[in-house]
Amino acid sequence: MGTIAKTALKNLNRQKKRSFLLGGAIAFGIMIVTLINGFAGAFLGNISSNLAGLFSGHVFVEGVEKSASNKPISVIRDDAPILAAAATAGLDSNTILRRSGADATIVFSGKRTSQSLISADFASDSYLAKHLSLKAGKYEDLSKPGSLVLSEKIAKKIKAEVGDKVLVQLKTINGQNNVGELTLRGLTYDMGIFSNMLAYADKTVLNELLALGPNEYTMFGVLLGDLKETEKAATALTAALKAQGTPIFELKSEEAKGSAGASATTGMGSRYAKLAKLAKQESWAGTKYRVFTINDMISQIEEIVRVINTVSLVILVVLFLIIMIGISNTFRMVMYERIREIGTIRSLGMQRPAVLRLFLLEAIFLAAGGAVAGFLVSGLIMLILSLFDFGTGTFFSLFMKNGHLSFFVPPATAIGNFLIVLALSILAAFFPARRASRLDPAVALRTTK
Amino acid sequence: MRTRTLGAALAALLLIAAAPASLAAEPDFKAMLAELDAIDDFGATDFTGIFTIVSDKPGEKQSVNQVRMFRRDAKKQFLMLIQLPEASKGQGYLKEGDNMWFYDPTSRKFSHSSMKEAVGESEAKNEDFNQRKILEDFDIEKTEEGAIGKFPVWIVGIKAKTGEASYDRIKLYIRKDKTLILKEEDFGASGRIMRTTLYPKYTEVSKGKFFPSQMLIVDEINKGEKSQITMSELSSEKLPDKVFTKAFVEQVN
Repeated sequence: MGTIAKTALKNLNRQKKRSFLLGGAIAFGIMIVTLINGFAGAFLGNISSNLAGLFSGHVFVEGVEKSASNKPISVIRDDAPILAAAATAGLDSNTILRRSGADATIVFSGKRTSQSLISADFASDSYLAKHLSLKAGKYEDLSKPGSLVLSEKIAKKIKAEVGDKVLVQLKTINGQNNVGELTLRGLTYDMGIFSNMLAYADKTVLNELLALGPNEYTMFGVLLGDLKETEKAATALTAALKAQGTPIFELKSEEAKGSAGASATTGMGSRYAKLAKLAKQESWAGTKYRVFTINDMISQIEEIVRVINTVSLVILVVLFLIIMIGISNTFRMVMYERIREIGTIRSLGMQRPAVLRLFLLEAIFLAAGGAVAGFLVSGLIMLILSLFDFGTGTFFSLFMKNGHLSFFVPPATAIGNFLIVLALSILAAFFPARRASRLDPAVALRTTK
Repeated sequence: MRTRTLGAALAALLLIAAAPASLAAEPDFKAMLAELDAIDDFGATDFTGIFTIVSDKPGEKQSVNQVRMFRRDAKKQFLMLIQLPEASKGQGYLKEGDNMWFYDPTSRKFSHSSMKEAVGESEAKNEDFNQRKILEDFDIEKTEEGAIGKFPVWIVGIKAKTGEASYDRIKLYIRKDKTLILKEEDFGASGRIMRTTLYPKYTEVSKGKFFPSQMLIVDEINKGEKSQITMSELSSEKLPDKVFTKAFVEQVN
C-alpha cells in the first residue's frame, strides 16, 4: 500500500500544472464554503452578545398576574423574590437591569409607525450611557423629562427631528387605550430590522402611560460576562426561584426539550411562546414568574443562520458536482494518456485492485491537498478581514464583535465538508479508474495515442 | 335695621323655596345611565344586522369593511362575520362566555382575540357593536349641560372603575328629551382625547330598544382618520342556537 501511495503522489507531481489547476478548483470551493460557514458560525454569537447589551440582559424574568377579568398581565411589583433567587444562583447584582416594554404607535405630523419602547432611567442607567451610541442629540439631554430615543430610520419615516414632540399611543398593562407625549431627544444609527424593536423612553413617563407604579416594571434582566453561560444561568435562576417557593411557569420536560436556547425556533422562541401560553391556560393568585433568555428573543436569527448553513452546503455540493465533472473528465484523459503505462504496470504484475487503488489514491491526495489549501487560504482571509475596524455605531455592527468581523467554523462542519469533497472526488475518479484497471495489458500496450 | 333683617329673612326664604325647584331640574344621572344600558340590552331578543364601515385615512384610498353581526344579549353571545373586503371574507369574531375567538378561514383555526380589537383597518372596534354596561364599568365624575346642534344635551363625564375598560374617561352627550347618546368622547388616562363617536341616527330594534343605525368615529390622535358606519338589513328574528358556535363559523366558510 505504501508503494502505491508513493506512486500516486509521484504521478500527481509529474503533471504539476494539471494537479495544481484541479487542486486549485477544489481549494476555491472549500475556501468559499468555509468563509460562509465561518461568518454564519460567529453571526449568532455576535448578535446575541450585542442584542443582550441593547435589550439589557442575557437572562430575563417576567412577572404575570391575573386581572379582574382573568386576563394575564405582565408586571413586577415587588422583585424581592427574584433578587433573592438571583443571589442564590450566584448572579452578580451589579448586572441587574429593570426595564418596562410596550408596543406603541408613534404619531407625528400625520405619519405613524409601530415601535417597541423600552423604559430607561437615562440619568442613572450607566449601562445604557456606555452602550447607547447616538447619531444625533446629546446623552446629557436625555435626562430631561419625557425623553425619547429612536433610530434615525424610524425618525425619518415619521419626519421627526431631535426636539420634536411626538405622540405615543399604546395600551396599558391592563389593555386600556392610552396616549401621551414624548420629546425626541436622541437618534441612534439605523439598526435595520431591529430599529422597530429598540427605542428608549423616559421611565417615569412610560410607566405612567402603562399604568405602572413608579417602582414597578415588566422585565428583570441579568447581564452575564459570558454568553455561553446563558442557559446555565437561566436554569440556576429557575431552580433557585422554585427552591424558595416562588411560583414559576414551567414547561414539561418534553416541551422544554428542543425549545430552549439555541434550538428555539419561530417567533419569540418556542420556549417563550409556550410559557406565554401557560399564562393564559393556568389560574393562580398573586404573581407568577417566567424565566427566558436572549436566545429565545433571537430565535428568528437562529433560523437565518440555519438557512445560511444550508445554503452553504448546497453551494458546496453544486460547486463540487461541477468540479467532479472536471475531475472525471480529467481522469478519463489521464487514463487515455497513460494507457501504455497502465499496460506496462499490469504486465509487471500489478493486479487490477491495485491499479484501481492507485488512481483512487491520486484522486484522494488531490482532493485532500486542495481542501487543506482551501482551509488555509480561508483562514488567512478571515484573519485579514477581522483586522478591519468597521466601527460600532452602524447596523452592521450588530453582526460584528466590537466593530470587527469575526468568524467561527464549527469543527464538525469543516470535517463534514472535507469528507464530502473526498467522497465526491473518489466518485468522480472511480469509473475511469475502474475502466483503467480492467484494461487488458496486451491491448493497453498495443494502443497508440 | 329691622327692615334689613326682614329683607334678609325673606331672601333666605325665597332661596330655600327655589332650591328644591332647581335641584328638581337636574335628573338622576345614575338612572339615566341605567336607562342607556337598558336600551342597549336586547335581552332575549336576537338581533342581526349588516354594518358597512367606510374608512378614510389621509393619503390612502378609502376602504370599505362590511360585517354581519349577530347578538343574543341574554346569553352574552356575539358573532361578527366579515363580508368585505374580499381578502378578509369569512373571518369572524365569536364571543363564547368570557372568551373571544377570531376565526381565520385560510388556516381554519380559531385564536384568542378581544372585544377591543379593531374591525379591519377601521376606527370601529368589536365592542362598538356589542352590548355595553356603562353603570357596571364606570362611575359618574362630572355632569353639565350643553347642546349639540339644535339638541340640548346632558354632558356626563364618567371614569372607568378598573383599568380594563377601553378608555379611562368618557364624556357622553345625552339628549335631554330622549335618553339617547348623540356624541361620545373617549379619553386616555393621560387626559388626552383619543376618539370621538357621533350617533346621528338610531333605529328601534324592538319596543324601547334602540341601536345606532349610523355612527361616525373620528380618530383624535391620527388627524383626518375616520370611519362612517351604516346599518342595514336589521332583523330581530329568532336565530338558531347553532349560530353562536364555532361549528357555524366554520360551516359558513
